[in-house]
Amino acid sequence: MRLSPLRTKPAALGATFAEQHGREIATRVAGRAGEYAAVRDAVGLTDFSFVQAFRVPEEKGIDLLDALVAGNVPRIRFGRVLHTFLADDDGMLVADCYIANNDREFIFLCESIVPDAEITRLLDPSFEDLTGSHVLLGVDGLRAWEVVREIFGANVLGLPYLSVEMYSFQARSVYLFRAGKTGEFGYLLLAPVSVAEALFDKLHEVTQKCGGRCCGFDIHQELRLEGRFFNIHAEGRRVRDPLVLGLQWMIDFDKEDFRGAAAIKQRRAAGLKQKLVGITSIDGRRKLAPGGEVVATCFSDVLDRPLGLAVLPIGQAYSGLDYRLASGQTVRTISMPPILPKSLKVKLDEV
Amino acid sequence: MTSTEQIIQRRAQVITTLKEELIRRLNLPYTPEDLHEDVSLLGSGLGLDSLDALEIVLCTESCFKLKFPEDSTAILRSINSIVDFVITEQDKRSGAP
Repeated sequence: MRLSPLRTKPAALGATFAEQHGREIATRVAGRAGEYAAVRDAVGLTDFSFVQAFRVPEEKGIDLLDALVAGNVPRIRFGRVLHTFLADDDGMLVADCYIANNDREFIFLCESIVPDAEITRLLDPSFEDLTGSHVLLGVDGLRAWEVVREIFGANVLGLPYLSVEMYSFQARSVYLFRAGKTGEFGYLLLAPVSVAEALFDKLHEVTQKCGGRCCGFDIHQELRLEGRFFNIHAEGRRVRDPLVLGLQWMIDFDKEDFRGAAAIKQRRAAGLKQKLVGITSIDGRRKLAPGGEVVATCFSDVLDRPLGLAVLPIGQAYSGLDYRLASGQTVRTISMPPILPKSLKVKLDEV
Repeated sequence: MTSTEQIIQRRAQVITTLKEELIRRLNLPYTPEDLHEDVSLLGSGLGLDSLDALEIVLCTESCFKLKFPEDSTAILRSINSIVDFVITEQDKRSGAP
């Protein structure tokens, strides 16, 4: 099993761990309620080192990556990040990907539902695997920008969503991605192992100063659903068809080829029969039972009710309807995302 | 026609009109069927910018003869959130309960 080089840090804070596809993930650190509040009201620091990271020179990377993922790699502007996916030959999801154009190189972050080796074997030898030599830390929350500003300076506030920039920490280069899948401000830091512990300690110190705490990955799974960000580990793993999941926006249909393109285009031409829809309970129950049509669930503290995603027949996949699930529970379909994250009210150019 | 079918038909009409207009005016490389109603319009998802947001407001206002409030952040999150707004405004205008 692959362990994070930073394992001892969340472990010392009381983290619980779980294994997924041969990787160990810190799932919970401070308790669900505390972690939820940390991200929605302050900031959460999370070890995402289970995500695979690769570096490839620009001249080779354009064609190699473009042949692999569904999105359009040549169109990624300098300093920007493409959010797309990697499919198998049947056009079924394998990984949720960020590809960053960092001048003479591309950085490829791969959050997959298969073991590391299955991703690595798809890649040309020119891809440098950074997974063991680097850590990936997430800083997410209403006050996340304060944490990165204190460490890297006020310039970070100018980064638009889905962009990348290099910063220095203890004389080593750190890739800072403005990304995140919670609806609040989000940053990912890809840093060499040599400074990983010092960087974690500094981030943790500032995070605590901002009223936040270290978080596990489980809370991110709930926050992704509440903010209606795609989660490959929940609906992605259970559905796997990017069209049913509504991920057409990640696909460049004009591209001649990418992995799984023929199968995806064939299903697109045949027309969708099912679609993913947001649901909530209407019978006072505090939980939605996963299984059957329900492919993801969470509890929204903001709304004080459970939320879920269900795969429904296309003719009934509309918001505002009562629907009886196979489990017998009646739910209401809703428009997503149902919450308005507090970060949307903060203008970084005015702080 | 049952009330559920009426709700579906009315919502489907607004969705189709809105999607077709957005694709045409923003020159999006998708068919209406490709656009999931919950996809984020700004930032993540379709990744539209502030100029596109203005175009969405103008296009929705002109298609459905209504006016967006000054702060439209919540409405502009997804196609579904715009459709909710359109239907609510139409109901207000017709005096529906």
